[in-house]
Amino acid sequence: MAISKEAYKGLEAIVGKEYISADPAVCEGYRAGPGGYECGLGYERVMTKIPACVIMPRTTEEVQKIVKTCNKYKVPYVPYSTGWYGPRSHCHVDDELIIDLKRMNDFEIDEKHLYAVVGPGIIYSQLQEEAMNRGMYIIIGGGGAQCSAIANMIGDGWSPLSYRIGLPHRRILGTELVLPDGELVKMGSLATGDDPFWGDGLGPDLRGLLRGFTGHRGFLGIVTRMAIKLLPFQPERLEPAGISPHTTLMLPEKRVKWINFTMPSKDAMREAMFEMAKAEIGGGVTKVPIFWRAIARANSKEEFWELWSKENEETISSFHLLRVLLIAFTSEEQMEYEEQVLNEIIAELGGEARRTRPSDESWFKNADSAGMWLMCGGYVSVDYVIETIEHAIPHGENYAKLKRNYTPPLMPDYGDPGWFQSFELGHQGYSEFLVYWDPDVNSDGVDQFYLETSKENIRKRFYTSLLGPHQPLYLTGPAYGPNYHEWLLKIKNEFDPLFICHPPVPLAHDEFVKRAEWMKPMKDWESPI
Amino acid sequence: MLKGKVSLDVTRLDNFEYDMSKCIKCKGCTWVDHIYMPGVTFSTRCPSATRYLFDSHGAYGKMRIGIAMLEGRMDYSDKLLEILYACTLCGACDVGCKRNLDLEIELSLEALRIKAVKDGKGPMPQHKKVAQNISKEHNRFGSPHQNRGKWLPDNIKPAQKADVLYFVGCSASYKNPEIAQATAKILNAAGTPFMLLADEWCCGNMLYSVGMVDEARELARRNIEAVRKTGAKTLLLSCAEGYRMWKVDYPKLLNIATADLGFRVVHLVELVDELIKKGTLKFTKTVNLRLTYHDSCSLSRLSEPWTPWSGERGEWGMVSPSLERRRGTNGVYQPPRDILKSIPGVELVEMIRMKENAFCCGAGRGTQEAFPDFASWAAGERLKEVKAIGAEAIVATCPWCKDNFAKTAKENGQKLKVFDIAEIILAAI
Repeated sequence: MAISKEAYKGLEAIVGKEYISADPAVCEGYRAGPGGYECGLGYERVMTKIPACVIMPRTTEEVQKIVKTCNKYKVPYVPYSTGWYGPRSHCHVDDELIIDLKRMNDFEIDEKHLYAVVGPGIIYSQLQEEAMNRGMYIIIGGGGAQCSAIANMIGDGWSPLSYRIGLPHRRILGTELVLPDGELVKMGSLATGDDPFWGDGLGPDLRGLLRGFTGHRGFLGIVTRMAIKLLPFQPERLEPAGISPHTTLMLPEKRVKWINFTMPSKDAMREAMFEMAKAEIGGGVTKVPIFWRAIARANSKEEFWELWSKENEETISSFHLLRVLLIAFTSEEQMEYEEQVLNEIIAELGGEARRTRPSDESWFKNADSAGMWLMCGGYVSVDYVIETIEHAIPHGENYAKLKRNYTPPLMPDYGDPGWFQSFELGHQGYSEFLVYWDPDVNSDGVDQFYLETSKENIRKRFYTSLLGPHQPLYLTGPAYGPNYHEWLLKIKNEFDPLFICHPPVPLAHDEFVKRAEWMKPMKDWESPI
Repeated sequence: MLKGKVSLDVTRLDNFEYDMSKCIKCKGCTWVDHIYMPGVTFSTRCPSATRYLFDSHGAYGKMRIGIAMLEGRMDYSDKLLEILYACTLCGACDVGCKRNLDLEIELSLEALRIKAVKDGKGPMPQHKKVAQNISKEHNRFGSPHQNRGKWLPDNIKPAQKADVLYFVGCSASYKNPEIAQATAKILNAAGTPFMLLADEWCCGNMLYSVGMVDEARELARRNIEAVRKTGAKTLLLSCAEGYRMWKVDYPKLLNIATADLGFRVVHLVELVDELIKKGTLKFTKTVNLRLTYHDSCSLSRLSEPWTPWSGERGEWGMVSPSLERRRGTNGVYQPPRDILKSIPGVELVEMIRMKENAFCCGAGRGTQEAFPDFASWAAGERLKEVKAIGAEAIVATCPWCKDNFAKTAKENGQKLKVFDIAEIILAAI
């Protein structure tokens, strides 16, 4: 046991013997890697540790007591809901405590006012099923159906369906946040009463502090309860079918339909997104990385490579697949109308509809993120941009060009510009750049590419969402601020004067560059670290 | 092995280094397939992760522990053995993982136990007692070997020579004679002659499950040879655990394919389903029951045939020659359902978690012996599901499941009829 006996006893008294352990075999299970999101890379190897102790609280009050005990005995801690988000959601320093929140799985749903109140132990697919059973729905973020709904809502939380119902900021309602010193903040309507139905409360809106664009990964406290806005859905059931691994949701085609279109160019794809938005049709629209098609078709890793190795620069640069989701929220006539409008838009742009299966494996209930590891074994999204469509497309193209310098170790993708889509009915554009590599070969180049993307954003003025904990703060802060880093550290210092909540985040990537020999040549910015 | 020569030989943990090191903590092993996710209740399929909660008890934790063991970073302790053995090896994790990835989770877990035994630390003391029983009396209970055939009623005469050989197994021979008797009567009713082994011994399921591969292999050789000598074309089992042992684990232990056993291994439900579809067996009696069917793990997601494989792992983790992974897709899911649906009066209501998503009863693979509280808890969780769907009876295809459900229902005061499917089939003939 590496935390003091006094601290352990204090913690044990809060949850009981059954829910705390410092046993090495238990703690080993909480190692970040070697597999998983961003795992196998230098950041995971250099920056993560196994915990000295794991504790599983049941209530917000217990979390407060745990955090206060940690402050009393100076035990660093990190909140952990499912452990999905790779090394950045695991311990970074010796003698650290993991606060595993999976027992906090309370769930209530208010059908009349369209919201659910969840604990961090509730995952998206659970929430989605409960919502759909009552005629509502929510976006399952690209992180996957297995994500803690709260963790994803305060971290990422988007998918092609964000085209219609927007980013998660607006769907966070009444929320409880245990600050790094154990004080409880109640946000939204919870600040003035027991009903969490509304996101706005007295005083400044702290939701920006809670997540910004992509969240703070646990270094500004622990969200223990959140009311999440649900949206009205169409009334027909999406019926599960098939046996693993071929399971799918069968769509009621008069109400919900995916249509894939082959478009003549990237410009035509972009125009289609704009025109759909102007016509206010569609439930989702996206251009996904082309190799995802190969993943969907392959029955194994080997089959993926057989399919993918048939591609080349030319086939990739000339293939433009636009996926459109239509949802007839109000009536079957809405489907007829939207499909007609969509077909006219596509026809004018020279596109062509392809046969599309009347099913969904990826976005309504599943968000198949686990499949991203099929082909190489290593995966991370090196950047997200949430700006305009005009901004998102060149962002991906620039990254694709930059990526050539790091391929290998990165997987060959023949210049595919990644994933872009339209959010909030065309008012925002999204670009995500995903990279894959073989973790069993030297992957220093992946670490270097990750950092290089940050520099590329600064050079080319791309508005990244991965500030704060994902890149060196002293590199990004002055460029985006000019004093973003100073403000973030002031906030951190104000709420966490002992720097005890998930240290050394938000300076962990600065620390990584300092510690990793292969990263040092890239350091060309001023920094006290 | 991360690269280079690799095989599916479970006696070497390093064969699964790649698989263990590529676990991504998606916890698809624990949750019900998200497509089938029923909501906030009955949402998991891994008994050990659900009961013990700490990540170490989920496959994601055990994979990390496995890597630590391979790298010599993990010492044996009581807690480590609890993590390795308080697990039903039910295969839920394996099919969950293989929905998206190509990782051999079940084999990794088996290899971990085998390593524990090789290192002189496993299995659990209760398992050693069972092993002694098997060694001494050739059955897991330690009952006198000469009593093995006592289940056979006077009015049933097995054939001296037949295509079908019924391997009764320890449970149906000693503890659940009603299953063996029902099976024999069904075969009689169908006009299917069957023979028995002159000297049947334990199949060794428990030995293999807890990692005692040498003892299990010895039994496999002995039993296969005994069956081959009879000239049987079909080996019939009414026990799902035994079925898996014969069909999957014997070939695995002997590095042969299931197809190379020299006879076909079938469970009663497969045979009856064939007989019904051929018209050889007809249901004439009404069985008025609103019942549910429990997918016994070893008949369902764990039952796909075994094919040995060895080769090389290379770039991107690809293997050659090609490997047909066992993903649980072709388990025996439909035949028992078709049988039950064709019985007059039976109303089959499905449980919320079914087929590859079913929640294990908690009895098998050494769990009940070493962790009886956990086994009862798991059965209790399943019985809550039975209650939620309003079934008056639960039907299983394995005596282990039947006994654990019956015992737990009684302990919990739950009024529920518990049957083996052989009993229901017999009642309808």
